[in-house]
Amino acid sequence: MVFWVRSYIAKRLLHTALISWGVMTTAFILMRIGPNSPADKYLAGLGAGHNVTQVVAAIESRYGVDKPLYDQYFSYITSLLQGDWGWSFGTSMPVMELIKTHWIYSFQLILLSTIFAVVLGIALGIFAAVRKNTAADHAVAFFSFAGISIPNFWLGIMLILIFSVKLGWFKTYYDTSLPMFSLENLHALVLPVFTLGTGMVAGYSRYVRSAMLDNLGKDFVRTARAKGLPESIVIRKHVFRNAMLPVITIIMLDMGSIVFGGAYITEVIFGIPGLGWMSLKAVFADDYAVVLAVTLIGAIITLLFNLLADIAYMYLDPRIRYE
Amino acid sequence: MKLAAYYWERIKRQRPAMFGLGFIIFLIILATLGTYFTKSPTKVNFDEKNLPPPGYTVEHSMYSAQNESFITTLQEGTWEHPLGTDSMGRDMLAQLVSGARVSLLVGLLATGIAIIIGAVIGVTSAYFGGAMDDILMRTTDVMMTFPFLLLLILIMYLFGASLTLIILAIGLTGWTGTARLVRSETLSLRTREFIMASKALGAGDLRIIFRHLLPNTLSSIIVLATLSIPGAILAEAVLSFIGLGDPTVASWGNILNAGQGSLETAWWVAVEPGVMLFLTVLSFNFLGDGLREAFDPKGE
Repeated sequence: MVFWVRSYIAKRLLHTALISWGVMTTAFILMRIGPNSPADKYLAGLGAGHNVTQVVAAIESRYGVDKPLYDQYFSYITSLLQGDWGWSFGTSMPVMELIKTHWIYSFQLILLSTIFAVVLGIALGIFAAVRKNTAADHAVAFFSFAGISIPNFWLGIMLILIFSVKLGWFKTYYDTSLPMFSLENLHALVLPVFTLGTGMVAGYSRYVRSAMLDNLGKDFVRTARAKGLPESIVIRKHVFRNAMLPVITIIMLDMGSIVFGGAYITEVIFGIPGLGWMSLKAVFADDYAVVLAVTLIGAIITLLFNLLADIAYMYLDPRIRYE
Repeated sequence: MKLAAYYWERIKRQRPAMFGLGFIIFLIILATLGTYFTKSPTKVNFDEKNLPPPGYTVEHSMYSAQNESFITTLQEGTWEHPLGTDSMGRDMLAQLVSGARVSLLVGLLATGIAIIIGAVIGVTSAYFGGAMDDILMRTTDVMMTFPFLLLLILIMYLFGASLTLIILAIGLTGWTGTARLVRSETLSLRTREFIMASKALGAGDLRIIFRHLLPNTLSSIIVLATLSIPGAILAEAVLSFIGLGDPTVASWGNILNAGQGSLETAWWVAVEPGVMLFLTVLSFNFLGDGLREAFDPKGE
């Protein structure tokens, strides 16, 4: 690897660490200036006859929330740097354990939706580009506008209404007892993948179409045609490969933001116990450590995918140089 | 004014944009005048619960203590409730009108706040450069990286759900795109001759920013604002759907939340607010896209 690439990546990693720290600190302050105390949830489940102030004091000292704010902040950072993500008092287990049991559900949903969206999006984009300004092109354009505009949580509910309630093809809720690598599991994920993937398909098909059209007008395409190459080769080798450059970047940037964006709400609708579903439960349970960890992880994922997108771009197009 | 007429001519030629504009105007009329013609959106009437829209019939099974068995009755929609009623007998049409008001209010105000903050930050960052630029842009990075939905959920959960807070929260977190756009446009404008000329004539920073830099980024800002409104509307809908919206007003998200629970008995409760939401988002996207085409000097 050339030297400037290495120093560029080092600089970007430093930037990633800095921004993650900023996000974490913001979340930390936000949660601590909120009016809720972790003791609230304990008190709600407490019977009569207890000395409330004593119980609150005991709980707050147990979780360290009675110490001054800067003290809590530094002890949180110290333990974070030692690899300790804190203790989830909502579920009574280490935060890392909790994340380990839940991440796979988000991962399978996002992976399948991305595969679905990339394949279909690229196919539609190419189809529209080579048939520019025909009825087929307009149909794809209309579909992508509709796909981008349809609120995905409503789409999910409509799919449940039609295919689960009326037709009875699927369960209305995701069944967690299914083994991960089985056809039943795949079947259970059809509606969620469609819910999450439709917006992505619509977006990708638009990007692919415009990237294809950009390249179709280039001189090297005219040259390729002039020297007598069959149209299929021109499209495949000359136009498509070049058009893929910006598309790959978009897909990677999308992956970063989807975990706590589209996937989040899809998980909530179908009851898939992924990271989004878990973090929503944690918010409602005042489970600070989990919310903080999830926020931080979300930020790091986004930043790493941004970096990855840039590196991929550099690798695929050697002309690119970053300062 | 001649310029406005010129752009109007160019927008008029785009059918999707005109459809979008038409629907938005319809929505504004619905939200402002509609409440004078509809019933109360919060009036509960259990005698008329789960009534379908006219033309549809649904079966309702009820346990009768007298006969000690389930009685199935066919229920037909009436024109009294042209869009049916929900599980508490509230009129759907009235709720949708109230929801239109909420969505437009959130969409326009939150986007307005976001655009103003973003424009000020972007132009300051680019115009002054140096340490100011660094600080503001790193802040923007942090804000951009923060999982947006999680941040909104956290704010709403911690500080209580009210419409004012929803608008403020969406506005105060949604400015990053504008800041980046205005910054990059200002950077390229900053070194142009007319800016240098007005500097040489002795214009102050504020005059240059407000008379020259911001007006020149206006067309991009308008396009971005139009395309950001759906995001704000959807954010409110998602929050209400999760149950963190303002519980005192009927919004499309609230209704959808109730609708998901009664899919088997009353499908229309989930369908209707979603259709409104979809058409609204689609209209703003169409209009934004049309505006971009119209403002693009290369397009013809």
